Amino acid sequence: MVFLQQLLNGLANGMGYVLIAVGLTLVFGVLRVVNFAHGEFFMLGAYVTYYGMTLIGMDYISALLVATLVVAGLGILANRFFFQPLKKEHEFTILLSSLGLALLLTHLAETIFGADPKYVDTPYSDATFSLGDITVTQQRIGVILVASAMIAATYWFIKHTRMGKMMQATAQNPEGAALSGINTKYVHAYTFALACALAALSGALVGPTAMLYPTVGDWAVLKGFIVVVMGGLGSVTGALLGGLILGVAESLGGGYISLGFKEAIGYAIIIVVLLLRPNGLFNPPASTK
Amino acid sequence: MKTHRRTWLNLAAGLIAASVSLGAWAQAKPPIKIAAINPLSGAGAFDGQLALEGMQAMAAIINANGGVLGGRMLELVTYDDKGNPEEGVSAAKRAMEQDKVDLIVGGWFSAVALGQKEVTRDKIIHIVTSAQHPKVTDEGHKYLFRLNATSTMMSDRYSKFVCDSIKPKSVAFITINDDYGRLEVENYTRLLGACKIEVKGNEFYNRTDADFTTALTKLRSLNADAIYVSAINTSQGATIYRQLRQSGHRGTIIASAGNMNPKLVELSGPALEGVYSISLFAPDSQRPMARKWIDQYAKMFKNEPSFIGSLGAQAVEVLAQAVEKAGDPRAYDKIAAALKVPKLNTLLGEATFDDKGQAQQSIYLIQVKNKKIVASGG
Amino acid sequence: MKPVPFFESAKAWWFGLLLALLAPFAAFNDYLLHMMVLWGIYSILALSLNIIVGFLGELTFGHAAFFGIGAYASALVVMGLGLPIWLGPLAAGLIAGAFGFAIGYVALRIVGPQFAILTLGFGAIIQTITNYWVDVTRGPMGISQIPPFKIEALGLDFSQASHMYFLVLACLTLAVYICRALQSSRTGRAYVAIRENPELAQSIGINTFKNKWLAFTVATTMAGVGGSLYGHYLRVITPDLMSLSYMSALIIMVIVGGKGTTLGPVIGAMVYIALLESLRAFGNLRLVIFAAMLILCVIFLPGGLISVWLRWQNRVREN
Repeated sequence: MVFLQQLLNGLANGMGYVLIAVGLTLVFGVLRVVNFAHGEFFMLGAYVTYYGMTLIGMDYISALLVATLVVAGLGILANRFFFQPLKKEHEFTILLSSLGLALLLTHLAETIFGADPKYVDTPYSDATFSLGDITVTQQRIGVILVASAMIAATYWFIKHTRMGKMMQATAQNPEGAALSGINTKYVHAYTFALACALAALSGALVGPTAMLYPTVGDWAVLKGFIVVVMGGLGSVTGALLGGLILGVAESLGGGYISLGFKEAIGYAIIIVVLLLRPNGLFNPPASTK
Repeated sequence: MKTHRRTWLNLAAGLIAASVSLGAWAQAKPPIKIAAINPLSGAGAFDGQLALEGMQAMAAIINANGGVLGGRMLELVTYDDKGNPEEGVSAAKRAMEQDKVDLIVGGWFSAVALGQKEVTRDKIIHIVTSAQHPKVTDEGHKYLFRLNATSTMMSDRYSKFVCDSIKPKSVAFITINDDYGRLEVENYTRLLGACKIEVKGNEFYNRTDADFTTALTKLRSLNADAIYVSAINTSQGATIYRQLRQSGHRGTIIASAGNMNPKLVELSGPALEGVYSISLFAPDSQRPMARKWIDQYAKMFKNEPSFIGSLGAQAVEVLAQAVEKAGDPRAYDKIAAALKVPKLNTLLGEATFDDKGQAQQSIYLIQVKNKKIVASGG
Repeated sequence: MKPVPFFESAKAWWFGLLLALLAPFAAFNDYLLHMMVLWGIYSILALSLNIIVGFLGELTFGHAAFFGIGAYASALVVMGLGLPIWLGPLAAGLIAGAFGFAIGYVALRIVGPQFAILTLGFGAIIQTITNYWVDVTRGPMGISQIPPFKIEALGLDFSQASHMYFLVLACLTLAVYICRALQSSRTGRAYVAIRENPELAQSIGINTFKNKWLAFTVATTMAGVGGSLYGHYLRVITPDLMSLSYMSALIIMVIVGGKGTTLGPVIGAMVYIALLESLRAFGNLRLVIFAAMLILCVIFLPGGLISVWLRWQNRVREN
C-alpha cells in the first residue's frame, strides 16, 4: 500500500514536472535558447493566480486562465527584449541574458510581492480523495488530468497545425526554414509565448500543493532541465516520459532508500544521461565523431 | 533689479532656515544607533522582516517616552544579512566601521550568528535574538548575549507536558536535517521514552525542500499516534502541516517548540487547529509592556505580532534599560554588567542572562484555537 | 602581430600591483579592507572560472562546487586531521583539482548547453552530498571556528583584514601570472583555436581534449585554493557556498568584467563587490538594480567592461 501511495505521489509530481519541461524543451528546440528564466514564468503564473483570487476575487479557474494569458504576454515581451536582440551573439551571452532575466524577475517579485510565503487556497487543495489506504488531494488529481490534456493538446498542435509544422521546420533547420519563407521571428515569439503559457499553467496548478514564494522559480527550472535532458532537446514525448520517470524515481527512491537520494537522483540522472546518451534517453544515440 | 532682490530674499531665507535647523540640531541630542541585522532577502526573509518590525515597534515606544539618557532617541540602522554568514560578517563590519553604530542586534540563522560573533568579539555589545545553536553562547564573548532558549531548554519543559497532558501512545518525528533537528530527535527520544511513549521512527528533511509527501508517506506507514513536527521555517512548516493532514493523518500533531507564529497559522489553515506548542511569547499576555508593544505593532504594521518580533522587541528593550543604567551607549563593560543583573523586567516576563550571555526566561504553553494562538493552561 | 594593448602589457600589471599594494593605506577602516579582501578572493575565483568560460569558451554551472570543495577540504584537513594550517590550501588545491581532473575527464567530451547542464548536475550532486553527509561536513549547519592562518613569529594574524589583504594579493598575483602565462603560451593559442573552431583545431593536430582537460584541472585547482582562503578568513562555511547564487555571482563577474581577458574578471569582481555594497542602502531593490545592470551590460556590452577600455584605446591610437 505504501508502495502504491509513493507511486501515486511520484506520478502527480512527475506530471507537474512534465508541464514545466515541455515549454523549456520547445524553446530549446525552436529558438535554440537555454532559458534559465523559464522557472520564473512558473512562479509568475502562480502569483498572478494568487492575486487574481485575493485582490480581484476571481474564482480559481478564472484566475488560472487569466494567469496563463498574462504570463504568455509577458513571455512575448521577454523574448522581444532579452533574446531577440542577442540572436547573433555567442550562445552563452544569450544564456547569461536569461540568467539576468531570472535574477531580475525573482528579485522584482521579492520586492513587489514581498518575501513572505503565500498560500494559494483553491477549493481543491485540501480536499482529498481516498481509495482504501491511498489518499491524494483533488488538486494533485487536477495536476495529472490537466497536464495530460495539455501535453496531448500540445503534441497534436505541433504535429497537425500550420504553426506547429512551422515550429518543427524552424527547429530542424533554421536557415532552411527562413529560406522557404517562414517568418522565423514570428514563430519564435509564438513558441516562446506558448512555453510561458505552459509554465504559468503549471505554476497555477502545482503552486497550491505547497507554499508560494519568489524563489520557487529556481526549483522549477532545475526540475525542468533534468527532464529536458532526459527526454532530449526539443522532444515533447521525451519530456512526458522523462518527467514521469523523474517523479516516480524520486518518490520511490526517497521512500525506500533515503531522502538524500531523492534530491540527488535527478542530478545523477542528468549526469548519466548526458554522458551516455546526450541526445536523450528516447532518441537514437548521438553519432560518434 | 528684480533678480537682485530675489537673490537677496533667497539668501536671507536660506540663512534663517539654516540657523533654525542649526539651532534645532544643536539642541537635539545625538541618537543611539542600534544595528538591526536580519535576513531581509532569501530564505528566512519573512522571519527577518518580522524581527525587524518587532524592533521598530519597541523603539517607537521608547522614543515616544522620551528616549534614553535624557532625550537621546533610539535609531535602528537596518542591514540585510541575506541569511548567509558572509553577508552577516560584512554587515557587522559595515555597521561597526562605516556607520559607527553603538550596539548590534543580529543573527537569525545560527550559521550567521556564529560568523558574526567573531567580528563583534569583545568589541561591541551584540545581542543574538533567535539562533538556537548552543555554540553561539558556548563559544561566545563578554559582550555577547542570546535571547532565545536553546532547544534543550525547551525540550525539558515540553516533554513533561507531552507526557502528562497529551499522553500519546506512540510518536514519530519529522525533523530538519541539521544540528537543531538532530538534537531534537535525541532529546525527545530520550525524554518521551522515559515516560513510556513508544518512539516509532524519524524522517529528516532538508532546508531547501518544498514538497514533503514522500517523507510523510513513510512516516504515516509507521502508524504513530502522534506526529511531532520540527520546523523553524514558516513556509516549510505550513507545507508540512497541510500535507500531513492531506495525507490522511487523523491523529495528534505536536508542533516543535518556539516556532509558532501567526503567519504559520494563516498558511496552515485548518491543519493547525488544536495543535500545541510552547513559546516564550504568549499573545494574550496581560503584562503591560507586552500589551503596549502589541498595540504599537498593530498601529505600525499589517502583520500580526509574533514570537520572532517579540524577541527583536525584547532586544531593544533590554538594551535601552542597560544603556540607561550604564550612562553611555559605548560603556560596554557597564552595559554588559547591567544586562547580567538578575530578573530583568521585559515584555516577555522576567529574563536573566547567565555568565555565557544565555537568557533564562519563562516558557509558556500555547495552542492554536480558532486560528489564533492562545496561552494554554498546562 | 597585433600590438599588445596597454592593459595587457607587463608594465600595466606592475603598475596595477603597485596600486593594489598602496590601496590599504588609503582605506580608512576595517570595513573597506574587508571589502578589498573579498575582492581579492573573488578575483581569484573569477579568474579560475574565466579559464573555462573565457579561454575554453565553455559555460560551466558547477564551478562553485570546486570553490566549496576547497573550503571544506581545507577546514576538514586542518581541524579533523590536525594537520598544520599551511597544508590547508595545499590540500584544498589538490582535492579540488583531483575532482576537476576526474570530472573533466568524463565531462569535457560534451560541449555547449549540454556541458553547462552536465556541470550543473555535478555541482548539484556535490552540494547535495555535502548537505547530507552530516557526520563529516556537519551538513547545513556548516563548519565554524575554522582556525585562521597565523604566523606567530611575525605577529601576523590573517583573520584580520589588514593582514589577510596582503596574503590574498600575493595569491592573486600568482593567479594572474598563471593565467597570463597560460594565455600567451602555445597552449593559450591552442585554446583560441579550440574556442573559435574546434574541428579545424583538431585537423591541424591540436589535441582538443587534452588541452581542455588541462585547463579545467588548473581552473578547479585555483578555485579550490580560493575556497581555502575564503574559509580560513571568514571562519564559517556552509554548503550554500556551492549554490547557484554564488555561481551566478561568479559568472556575472567574469562576463561583466570581460571574459577571455585576464583583467576582465578582476575588474568584474571589483565592480560586483563595490556595487553590491554601495547599493546596500537600497535594501531589497539592490538585487533588482544589479540584475538590471547585468542585463544592460550583456545586451549592449557583450565584451564586458574591458571592451569599453579597448574601444577608447583604439580611438586614442587612431588620433
